[in-house]
Amino acid sequence: MGNWQRLVWNQRDVLLAGLSVTVEVCVIAFVAAILGGLVLCLVRLYVRPLRPLAVLLIEFFRDTPIFVQLMWVAYVWPELFGFPDSFFAAGWLALGLQSSGYLAETFRAGIEALPRGQRDAAFSAGMSPAQTFRRIIMPQVALASAPSIVNQFTVIVKSSTLVSVITVPDLMSQSQKLISVWYEPIEILTATAAIYIAFVFLVSACGKWLADRLRLRYGLAA
Amino acid sequence: MSDALKQSLDLSMFLEYRAILLQGLIFNVLVFLGAAALALVAGLGAALMRMSRLAPTRWIGTLYVEVFRNAPDYIMLVWVHFVLPLLIGIVIRRRVEFHPFVSAVIALGLVYSGYFAEGFRAGIEAIPRGNLDAGRACGMSERLILWRITLPQVVRRMLPEALNLFVSMFKATTIVSLIAVPDLMYNVSMVIQQEMRPLPLYTGAALTYFLLIFLLSAGVRAFSERWRRAILV
Repeated sequence: MGNWQRLVWNQRDVLLAGLSVTVEVCVIAFVAAILGGLVLCLVRLYVRPLRPLAVLLIEFFRDTPIFVQLMWVAYVWPELFGFPDSFFAAGWLALGLQSSGYLAETFRAGIEALPRGQRDAAFSAGMSPAQTFRRIIMPQVALASAPSIVNQFTVIVKSSTLVSVITVPDLMSQSQKLISVWYEPIEILTATAAIYIAFVFLVSACGKWLADRLRLRYGLAA
Repeated sequence: MSDALKQSLDLSMFLEYRAILLQGLIFNVLVFLGAAALALVAGLGAALMRMSRLAPTRWIGTLYVEVFRNAPDYIMLVWVHFVLPLLIGIVIRRRVEFHPFVSAVIALGLVYSGYFAEGFRAGIEAIPRGNLDAGRACGMSERLILWRITLPQVVRRMLPEALNLFVSMFKATTIVSLIAVPDLMYNVSMVIQQEMRPLPLYTGAALTYFLLIFLLSAGVRAFSERWRRAILV
């Protein structure tokens, strides 16, 4: 028990600093993924000439392993496109890109599941396509895909452990720093794993709760 | 900038090292096969425990599934490689060390066994009770019922989902390079250290994995669609 006190509890500032970086990376990546996914989905559905490009990007983001994408964004993009300018930015960008591919497909499934009649009704009531999208389509899609969006956040948190490889000081890399100081991996790594598991469990419990509530309230099949 | 683009699209360096890089890919496949076998067996075990009649067994099964489903692959990999041997060593009072390959198989196998357990459970619970009662009425033992009545139906029902899990699992094998299993990514970073040219090599690696996994998942998608149509008739 002394070891837990010495290696984990007394080092809690180091670990918590890492946890806050992890949360930061994940939240930025999550927002980027939702925006990117929305854009990719809309381009794929409504912008004919760019459709093949959107399909290719969605498939590329979904089918390339996150670790490979992370290394690629971190080491190739700066020279190719001039950004991201830091490993932190590369971290959230890679995580965001991967999830944007998945979310684009989630949104598309949500939009395609809506009965066509609703769009026709909106048009015949005199709404513009933009209005129709904002007032009729988007609210329903957001509700129906909310649980999957929350789930995608757990995927981001899990993958975020890899940003430690490109030296972002997240929880994983802080705990490895502690190990290299103390040479006692048992308590430190176990505590780190427990923190991650608890974090992901909490997020997915929220997702489950949300799904149940939406189903009860609006009769949505989640 | 266009120079960088040209450099990253010029894959001749990636091709020059193709022998060693493809050798790495074989390690990806080997880790995948080992981990898949472990995940299936452990997943079935955990699913059966979760549905056991004994409450403590059920609790252990639930705890197992929740832990591994919510654990990030990378931390499990590091934990299995650096902590598990120490713990085993304390128990058997001998120095234990895992070969990186063994750690990779155990870690990925455990993580995905959590997902497979949920699949198995959903599949088993979807089987009408009457099937089991009929089996018992014919005098079959519980084990015979599991093998002859339950599992064949579960496998049929969960095959598409299982194939998707296998694809994710193959993607996850790329992280084993981080504990020095000489897979494709590991060899890529070795070559980069020698040649100091990350652009074409990382791009080549990304494209290789993309093509491979794209083909795999397109195949799975096509197969699943036909499979669902066939068993729903």
